[in-house]
Amino acid sequence: MGQVTNRTGRGTAPPRFSLEAFLTWLRRHPEFGAFAGTVVVFIGFSITATRFLTPDSFAGILTVAAELGIVAAGITFLMISGEFDLSVGSVLGVAAMIFALTVKAGWPVLGSWAVALLASAGIGLINGLIVTKTGIPSFITTLGAMMFWRGILLAVTKGFPIQFFPRTLPPMFFALNGRFVGQFRTSALWFLGIILLINLILVRTRYGNAVYATGGNRDAARVLGVATNKVKLINFVISATLAGLAGCIQFARFLSIDPTRGVGLELEAIAAAVIGGTLLTGGAGNLVGTLFGVLLVGMVRSGLVQSGAPAYWYQAFVGLIVVVAVIVNTRLRRWALG
Amino acid sequence: MRSLRNLLLAALVVLGLSTVILAEEYTFYVVSHGGPGDPFWGVVMKGMQDAAAMITNGTEDTVNAIYLGPAVYSLTELVNMLNSAIAARPDGIVATITDPAALDEPLRRAIDLGIPVIAINVPDPRPAGERIPYLFYVGGDEYLSGRKAAERMLAVRTPTRAVVFIHEVGHHGLELRAQGFMEVMADAGVPADKLAIGTDPTQAVEIIRGYFSANPDTDAVFTLGPIGTLPTVTFLREQGLVGKVMLGCFDLDEVTLNAIKEGIAMFTVTQQQYLQGYLPIQWLYLYNKYGFLPANDILTGPGFVDASNIGLVEQLIIQGYW
Repeated sequence: MGQVTNRTGRGTAPPRFSLEAFLTWLRRHPEFGAFAGTVVVFIGFSITATRFLTPDSFAGILTVAAELGIVAAGITFLMISGEFDLSVGSVLGVAAMIFALTVKAGWPVLGSWAVALLASAGIGLINGLIVTKTGIPSFITTLGAMMFWRGILLAVTKGFPIQFFPRTLPPMFFALNGRFVGQFRTSALWFLGIILLINLILVRTRYGNAVYATGGNRDAARVLGVATNKVKLINFVISATLAGLAGCIQFARFLSIDPTRGVGLELEAIAAAVIGGTLLTGGAGNLVGTLFGVLLVGMVRSGLVQSGAPAYWYQAFVGLIVVVAVIVNTRLRRWALG
Repeated sequence: MRSLRNLLLAALVVLGLSTVILAEEYTFYVVSHGGPGDPFWGVVMKGMQDAAAMITNGTEDTVNAIYLGPAVYSLTELVNMLNSAIAARPDGIVATITDPAALDEPLRRAIDLGIPVIAINVPDPRPAGERIPYLFYVGGDEYLSGRKAAERMLAVRTPTRAVVFIHEVGHHGLELRAQGFMEVMADAGVPADKLAIGTDPTQAVEIIRGYFSANPDTDAVFTLGPIGTLPTVTFLREQGLVGKVMLGCFDLDEVTLNAIKEGIAMFTVTQQQYLQGYLPIQWLYLYNKYGFLPANDILTGPGFVDASNIGLVEQLIIQGYW
């Protein structure tokens, strides 16, 4: 899984082992820490949980990772360009609500879905405009947006869940989050597709370079002719749209949305990105790291239960992983830089 | 003629004045740990509003009932809201005693200030001398609810292994439901676990899958509310475990209702929470106005909804009473 190209597009595996080559490789791969962590935790649970190494168990991990990962993919992209989005949990809820309400009202499913995604994109656009036009830090802007949209969600639903019980499940729901083989769900395909697409944009396109430049050194980026505000604006829209997509995917399976849906998700998504080596300050990170970050989170969720540990431990465990991962990532980076 | 008119006018003025003097305005606060986002509390709010409207429309008095509850479960937020309610010096406070230690000080302060307090939904579990001296409690008995749920399952058959899914760890009421259930199961020789599943349905399903994979002999499940019932029903349906696993639920929403109709769930425990919003407002009014008090706590649950009464309940749900 380490055989990925970095953003310069060069091959990555060292041809022969030498410390110097390894250090160069490591420097270009902030996701290595998350990969190593995933392997360690994986081996740990393989020993402690007897049924951990089964297709069902993998499918479970992937299902948790998928919804979180779709959100985290957008967050990673945005964080690399130097901004935060704390509103993704609320956007997930709002998008699912719009999807639910319109489908329930008899709209064609595809239309409902498009409207839900457009609304999410709109929220992202507003976030982006506020940040880029007023210069208010995105942490504050999106904290406000998180509260505002959660409030709207509560006000519109009056606290009741919106539930939809169709006679036959629309095919679009299957496409969004159906079970296609064993316990594997289509949400995982969306997730992998999105990770692949965004990583391609990030490492293979000029826009990807602009994203890194915007988060790394804004002044230098501007001198080089990168429209940093435009980059940020686009990334805010992407982040919110993906959160909205995750909301639609979740609704397609459970056919029910309660107004607290997605609470706390933003922090889990940021945690996954950070575990994956994305810098809080921007300029560094990639989607492969986030992929391992969310897999790690998903694994801890089901691995702990299967090992018979009280599920109360989950949060404590994720907390530990975040801190350890960041320490390891920072050390590795410093060490690799010599 | 003229004197008669004056007399009539005077009588009217006196009558009008007396109405003004007699007509009182009361403000009551309901401070709850349950956010307006929880469907359960939506029904309590309706009960509260209906009681206030009934008094306001049916008497010369006016009752304002205000609901406060944190959107996401937070004890700090609950205490803050309680403090702002006390600061408003209302004519009565209705509170859920979710955490007796944290609520002890503010509620005692309110009572010392002469504000009548009624506990709803979750009582103070301490003995009479130590508990917060509220007037009385209106609500279900959580522990008894858990016990009765287990007894109802055991009356059908003795399961091999039972588990309680708890979605809000540390919530005193939920923990009591779980305890009552697990004790009765343990007494019947059934191993019983408690599993924390959280509030995100996707993650909850995978936690449940993890539990079933580690304990495949599980054949009795008790959920503690709609947030836990949704992933459980989804899991049982997706895994084809319907009919193999006895499912007892708590509270009612559309998902639980359909689960009972489809035979996925055996029953759901309810505490008729409409009454927990309605009765305290009525009693606070009666207490303020006439000094009336009931002799005891008022138990609104455990009540059961199953295949036998689901039809009637379904009608009432549409109207927001369940």
